[in-house]
Amino acid sequence: MKQDRSQVLVFWTTVMFALLILSAPTLVVLGASFTSGNIIQFPPDGFSLKWYQKILGEAELRDAFVRSIQVAVICVLLALPTGTLAGIALSKYKISGGNAIQTYLLLPFTVPLIGSGIGLMLAFGNAGVLGSLWPVGIATAVINLPFMIWAVSSSASSLDPDLELAAESCGAGPVQTFFSVTLPAVTPGVITGSLLMFILSLNEFLVSLLLVDARIVTLPVQIYNSIRSVITPDLASVSVVFIAVALLAIVALDKLVGLEIFLKTK
Amino acid sequence: MDFCEACFAAVWPSVGHKYTPYLMLMPAILLVGTLVVGLLYIADSSLRILDTSTFRFSEFWSLENYRRAFSEPFIFTVLWRSLVGSVIVTIVTLILAFPYAYIMVRTPSPLLRKFLLVALFLPFFIGQVVRAYGWLIILGNQGIVNDALWLFGAAPMRLLFNYPAVLFGLVQYMLPFAVLMLAPAMTAIPEDVEAAAGSLGAKWVSTMLQVVIPMAKPGLIGAGLVVLTLSLTDFAMPAILGGGSQDFIANAIYDQFFRTSDQGFGSTLALLLIALGSMLVGLVFTIFGAGTLALGGDKK
Repeated sequence: MKQDRSQVLVFWTTVMFALLILSAPTLVVLGASFTSGNIIQFPPDGFSLKWYQKILGEAELRDAFVRSIQVAVICVLLALPTGTLAGIALSKYKISGGNAIQTYLLLPFTVPLIGSGIGLMLAFGNAGVLGSLWPVGIATAVINLPFMIWAVSSSASSLDPDLELAAESCGAGPVQTFFSVTLPAVTPGVITGSLLMFILSLNEFLVSLLLVDARIVTLPVQIYNSIRSVITPDLASVSVVFIAVALLAIVALDKLVGLEIFLKTK
Repeated sequence: MDFCEACFAAVWPSVGHKYTPYLMLMPAILLVGTLVVGLLYIADSSLRILDTSTFRFSEFWSLENYRRAFSEPFIFTVLWRSLVGSVIVTIVTLILAFPYAYIMVRTPSPLLRKFLLVALFLPFFIGQVVRAYGWLIILGNQGIVNDALWLFGAAPMRLLFNYPAVLFGLVQYMLPFAVLMLAPAMTAIPEDVEAAAGSLGAKWVSTMLQVVIPMAKPGLIGAGLVVLTLSLTDFAMPAILGGGSQDFIANAIYDQFFRTSDQGFGSTLALLLIALGSMLVGLVFTIFGAGTLALGGDKK
């Protein structure tokens, strides 16, 4: 389709501006992490890997990173089976009271993060379990669960129910049908959902901030605490860890299901 | 496998099959249940008053905290700042997101589409703190922008820790959400419709205003709603880029818990914010249906 020149101009100017503000922080953090100077600056003062070397020796940052990974793993372990079952149930069956259940399951999205975080902090606090990492894992699973359910249910609705009927009429029981027909069909959704959950849990800041104490800070909280005092280039190097993980996740998502899945209508 | 089937049949006889979907939903319902328990705790402590002499909370329930929430002037200042801010952020974000989503969906080049998608997902996957940290480097007193100004002989400006910096950070934070919610709505609009409008003599501006935007309305509403509620309730951007002087509601709630240690009043504010957020979402659901937020997908 032929497009008007002024339309091309207006649209592309906007997109260029959007691209600039989307990428600027990432590029700057990346650049600043390679500085050989002692203060944070961009363009960097010479090239060196010394700040990367330094973070390897910093136990605080390393521990915080390991804790963040642990939280993200707990989150996925919880959300994967939970969200997969719920996603399949919501898209496959006509459920009486389905709308009410859906509204209920969307609660983590309708309740603002500060509300969820405070609520979970009070609940875990009263249960006397604050101070360990697994409540943080549960919390990040709860607040992001709708993503998992959404990812699974949108790929489950493309599953032809006749396939399951065929399996059953060929003599497969409900368990075999579930594992050989239903589950493979929703695998793209399960992968997309799990990756989203992992990344969102790894990056979760506010709920982490509310649920951790000084002994078990996660990496985003550690970075937040540090940028409020002195900004040194080692923080930029640590942030590059997040950038690297994000890139890996994007490549994995693209290879496994294709990023274009997000452009489709359900 | 037969063994599995036998076990399954034993614990879940076929009479129970009617309830299979509910059984499958149960783990999710329980998991979200922790959030409900949390909300009940918030509701309970919102009714308890802090005794400032003993630093203990009252045994009885009272609505005093709610009366305070509606009469303290600083709450209105913070609420007004967050509301105005989130409306501005929503408008700017949608203006930026619309052409982005349009080009991403319409471009004939798969490579360009992939590039635009990656540029969108990368910041989305990096998290708020790292992004805000990037802005600190760019906008700081010795940051890139001020260095550039210096090159042109202009005096350095204080670009951080003010209202525009917070709004700017929020727009950048919200842009991926908005585009990803708009894109499916754009995909659903057939290109022929635009071509038809064009061949009937419509200029592109009127094609956009009278054909594409009305057809993309559910997506625009959905995206706008998500951006509005997320930026209204955001904590990190006001905290990091506002430097404590530009608090939004979430920051005020946090301060009640961790600075003033008034859990009761903090809970009251949290509950009011939850009510406000849910009302916004509920309003749009009743008018437009769950739309893009629906979890069920299309029922066959």
